[in-house]
Amino acid sequence: MRPGVLTAVRLLTAAATAGTGFVHADLYVDGGYRVIPIIGPAFLVLSSGAFAVAALLLAGSSPVLRLGAVGVAAGALGGFIMSRTVGVAGFTEHGLQPAPQALISLITEIAALALVVAWEVMLRRPRAVSALAAASS
Amino acid sequence: MTDQDKAGPVGAGDAGTGRGEHGMTRRQLIRHSAWFGAAVALTFTGGKVISRVAGDGAGRTPVNTSELQFVQVGDSHLGFTGTANTDVTATFATAINQVNSLGYTPDFVMHTGDITHLSTAAEFGLAREMMSDLRTPRVFTVPGEHDAINDGGKAYRKFFGAQTLGTGWFSFDIKGVHVISLVNTTSVDALGHLGPDQLDFVRRDVAGLSSETPILVFSHIPLFAMYPLWGWSTDDAVKLLAMLRRFGSVTCLNGHVHQLFTKTDGNVTFHSAAPTCYPLPAPGHGPAPLPVTLPAGQLTSALGVRTVTFQAGTKSLAITDERLA
Repeated sequence: MRPGVLTAVRLLTAAATAGTGFVHADLYVDGGYRVIPIIGPAFLVLSSGAFAVAALLLAGSSPVLRLGAVGVAAGALGGFIMSRTVGVAGFTEHGLQPAPQALISLITEIAALALVVAWEVMLRRPRAVSALAAASS
Repeated sequence: MTDQDKAGPVGAGDAGTGRGEHGMTRRQLIRHSAWFGAAVALTFTGGKVISRVAGDGAGRTPVNTSELQFVQVGDSHLGFTGTANTDVTATFATAINQVNSLGYTPDFVMHTGDITHLSTAAEFGLAREMMSDLRTPRVFTVPGEHDAINDGGKAYRKFFGAQTLGTGWFSFDIKGVHVISLVNTTSVDALGHLGPDQLDFVRRDVAGLSSETPILVFSHIPLFAMYPLWGWSTDDAVKLLAMLRRFGSVTCLNGHVHQLFTKTDGNVTFHSAAPTCYPLPAPGHGPAPLPVTLPAGQLTSALGVRTVTFQAGTKSLAITDERLA
């Protein structure tokens, strides 16, 4: 696998994760979410965690960071789905509200998950080839 | 360092660096720990920065402390069961969440009645517990006729009547506005009724006020003749309004009719609020004011909370009715 492709995937993952962080930080700061019990602190933790993972992804590609990117995206996506179905600690929202943040966040979360999956596939492919070669020798 | 390097593939020299039972070398463990530690440290730092930007601690106070900001919610009808709203507790909880997510701390929240559907102790207890979650220094209530079923409001006053007079009326001053909260539901016949004791209270209450003082009046049943055939009026409100004619600005906020409605009469403006439970038909549309069952997914569009702002020196209140999110 060409290192340039992996670098591009890494940087795109960082961008998507930062996007998720920005949307949640914006809703926390200006959207009034910070006063909602449990939801406010959760937005703060999610956004700061997303920024941290995004910043570190600019410098490296440790599995810890890929796991962090998945955690941020899956956590945000899970919270979104729960808030529109069973609720999160009594907090519910409807559809793609608040707009446009809900839609942007959905896009960045799904993009981050897809990028990390693609990244893992690209990393494992050479190993699988090596393993097969080792087994046949 | 390349991406493959950083990904930490197993190298040929790992045997000499102390591979653990899970196939991780000490070097890899140290590297992972370093990244994890950096992520935690940055998360903590980022959280502090975002909190500071948000102005936490001071952010929930009104931007302009001379400005009165409050919220009106009403007609929660806790205990109601029917197709018009199969979970009134949930919609009331949503309203409370919406108030708590305004981005500022309202000076007070007023529930304009029909807190409960059947005036049971369980319903009042649930209401009090839910309203204790409201993020505001003060929560006030006005009884609706559903809060005074069979007992003239005794159960209501047991839960919400502290520091009130008569059947639950009271007044107070806040940021230059004189607030009067009235009860026109405990002796309802066909229409709302205030009664002579309460009218005397108002007469004494406003006697010492300057005509420049903005007056804010809360009641459950409208103090104007919105639709008397359905009881949407107060039979002796004319006497009350006569006492308030000398004031430059009088705003009357009510519930009961489960729909937004505004009327201006000289110096007095009346605003009916949306409920948090279910809508009622528009005046005269239908045989009686019975709960309306809306198509699936449309209920919250008929429910809402009201935010009100009053800037000292201005004549009228800025009222914003928000649909339930």
